[in-house]
Amino acid sequence: MPVRKPTEESGFNRFIDTWRQETLSRRRFLLRMAGGSLALLMPLSQSAQDENGDPDRQWRVLGAVQNRLFPSEANAPGAEELNALDYLKWVVADRKLDAEDRRFILRGVDWLEDLTREVHAQSFSDLSIEQQDAILRRIARSDAGENWLATLLLYLFEALLSDPVYGGNPHEVGWHWLGHRPGFPRPTAHNRYKAG
Amino acid sequence: MENEFDVCVIGSGAGGGPVVWSLTQAGYSVVVLEKGPWFKQTDFSKDELACCRRSHYTPNLRDEQHVLEERDGDQGWKGVPTAVSQRDFWNGNMVGGSSNLMSGYFHRLKPQDFRLLSEFGPIEGANLVDWPIGYTDLEPYYTLVERVVGVSGKVRPHPQAEPRSTPDFPYPPTAEHPISAWIDQTCGKLGLHPLRVPRAILPRPDMGRGACSYSGYCGSYGCSTNAKGSSRAALIEPSLITGRCDLRPHAKVYRLRSDAKGRVVQADYFDTQGMSRSVSARIFVVACQAIESARLLLASPGTAHPDGLGNRHGQVGRNLVFSAGGSGSGYFTYAKLSPEKAAQVRVLGPFVNRALQDWYTIEDPVFAKGPAKGGTVDFLFSHPNPIPLANALRWEKDKLIWGKPLKRKLEKWFSEDRKLLFEVFNDWLPTDDCFVGLDPNINDKWGSPVARVRLGAHPHDLKVGRYLAGQGEKVLRAMGLDWVSSSVNASPPPNLVAGGCRFGNDPKDSVLDPDCRVWGADNLFVSDASFMPTGGSVPYTWTIYANAFRVADKIKRQLG
Repeated sequence: MPVRKPTEESGFNRFIDTWRQETLSRRRFLLRMAGGSLALLMPLSQSAQDENGDPDRQWRVLGAVQNRLFPSEANAPGAEELNALDYLKWVVADRKLDAEDRRFILRGVDWLEDLTREVHAQSFSDLSIEQQDAILRRIARSDAGENWLATLLLYLFEALLSDPVYGGNPHEVGWHWLGHRPGFPRPTAHNRYKAG
Repeated sequence: MENEFDVCVIGSGAGGGPVVWSLTQAGYSVVVLEKGPWFKQTDFSKDELACCRRSHYTPNLRDEQHVLEERDGDQGWKGVPTAVSQRDFWNGNMVGGSSNLMSGYFHRLKPQDFRLLSEFGPIEGANLVDWPIGYTDLEPYYTLVERVVGVSGKVRPHPQAEPRSTPDFPYPPTAEHPISAWIDQTCGKLGLHPLRVPRAILPRPDMGRGACSYSGYCGSYGCSTNAKGSSRAALIEPSLITGRCDLRPHAKVYRLRSDAKGRVVQADYFDTQGMSRSVSARIFVVACQAIESARLLLASPGTAHPDGLGNRHGQVGRNLVFSAGGSGSGYFTYAKLSPEKAAQVRVLGPFVNRALQDWYTIEDPVFAKGPAKGGTVDFLFSHPNPIPLANALRWEKDKLIWGKPLKRKLEKWFSEDRKLLFEVFNDWLPTDDCFVGLDPNINDKWGSPVARVRLGAHPHDLKVGRYLAGQGEKVLRAMGLDWVSSSVNASPPPNLVAGGCRFGNDPKDSVLDPDCRVWGADNLFVSDASFMPTGGSVPYTWTIYANAFRVADKIKRQLG
């Protein structure tokens, strides 16, 4: 019988999320292939280079991408209900997290915007839903683009399933949706992980 | 100069705790130098992000890392720093060490584990030796651990059971999951003898510690009731009450200084502010977990130890072992069960507590001509952490999916079934391809070379692991589970590590004497899992605790 289920355990009841490790090491592999340069992995046109790095626009685009990755529905929370954008801001601001992770997420926005302006002459956040989906399908065909979306999903799942003390999963909306039962005692503002 | 303390213990985990407890109880003064912070009972919660997704209990890999060497084609070995690979090899740096995060599956070794070479004969490419002590030397200390650390269980007659000096455990078993009885029924039909797995978990309050609250979140998490017998809750914190224990968290020992006679005179460490400090004592005990203990000895050369403490014959760091094996699984599909049975499977909290050791020694002509060393198959439910499951669901045939299709998949997979696992534990044979050295290029944040670890495994380990996994699969199939499969590989679990400073009767092929005293440094002991020449086929913690209590008795005798 074929194995249908993914093996999310690493064995020995030591719970490492191997998928996080695989996402990151895949990225490092891609970067190495690009000579270690994010600029080569996700190249930008000259005009994009001139206007990149605008934080407001970057977060607007990231929010729009999250809404396509995890759309709101009547009976199921989407990125918006999960506070996923604020959660991602907290992740990106955490200096304890790998600096490369942060650069990769933000560079990806400029790269996506560059492509979008080339095709549609407007920002990703101003496109129709159908146009946005088409662009995401297009970038997912490249290894770098697929890895970028996979990274955003990774933090979306943290916003969906981590304790509300971290800002995602407000009122346990993600846990309720998937019938997940948390353990007690729950983390408090005092003993939770603190970003650096 | 007057020594400040009778004993200086470096590391407060399962290897250090028993020494600290025994010596402070006996009236000696002990200083404990622990690299990590002191998390107390109220600092622990069921926080997936803290326990399992951020470096909350372990160092940031930019500050402290390892270099892991793996085979690179047929040619040689390639080392990759873990800050690059993100393959975190730390296990819990805090007061009490990784015993705070263990699941507490407690198994004793069996008499044959102490004499693998003479019982089963040599295996080509494996550095097999008999231990310099036997099971009867350690048995009283296993019994002591049951009482002092608190081990719960119930003895069941078993064809491969190890002898014990008391009739039963001091604490009754922890509450058991409904499916434990199903495992018993199935195994009965198959002619197998399931054990009730002893746990280092208190089922009722005792010794100033609370009872288990059956939160369902145990392994990888710190215990919020102190029911789990971590070195912190069971040994270190109780030692403080004596007034003879000086516990110093955030104290990173980087060097042991020795005199011309080879004796250790001083431990040098960095405090929270990065200031170098030192401490003197009559006796020093190293218990930093196998890899870091070997690293500290190698980083501490002296006049009488030019290549590192106890390394006159180049043995320090060699014969590192892990636990070989792997895991298997099957699924209870709720829709296929009666409503009552489905409700039983959904129960969260109580433990499965079942293991099979029918093949601890394999007597099967299909496997080998004569008796061969086998191992343990342990049953448990899939870890309840939800984020890794969601992460795995992002992929469909290696392609990323998102949007509504992903959401429908999440709904289905979070609700339709529950995964029962088994874990296989068998010997990781010691070889010349598994050892610890110092990396020539990469330093930690204090400027000391990090450990460089070669991770070669012996092919025989996989053969045994696959045999045991096959037996585990048979049980899951007989229980009627869906999608039964298993995976055995040579990837070492970082939390099940031992060896590197093995004990023996000859200084030429060991680092420690039979008392776990470093050859050539007669006031230096190593009391963590480093001493083990072979690892046995069970998790190590009970044996580490037991041996550290034994070492404490040797130290007491030496202090007089």
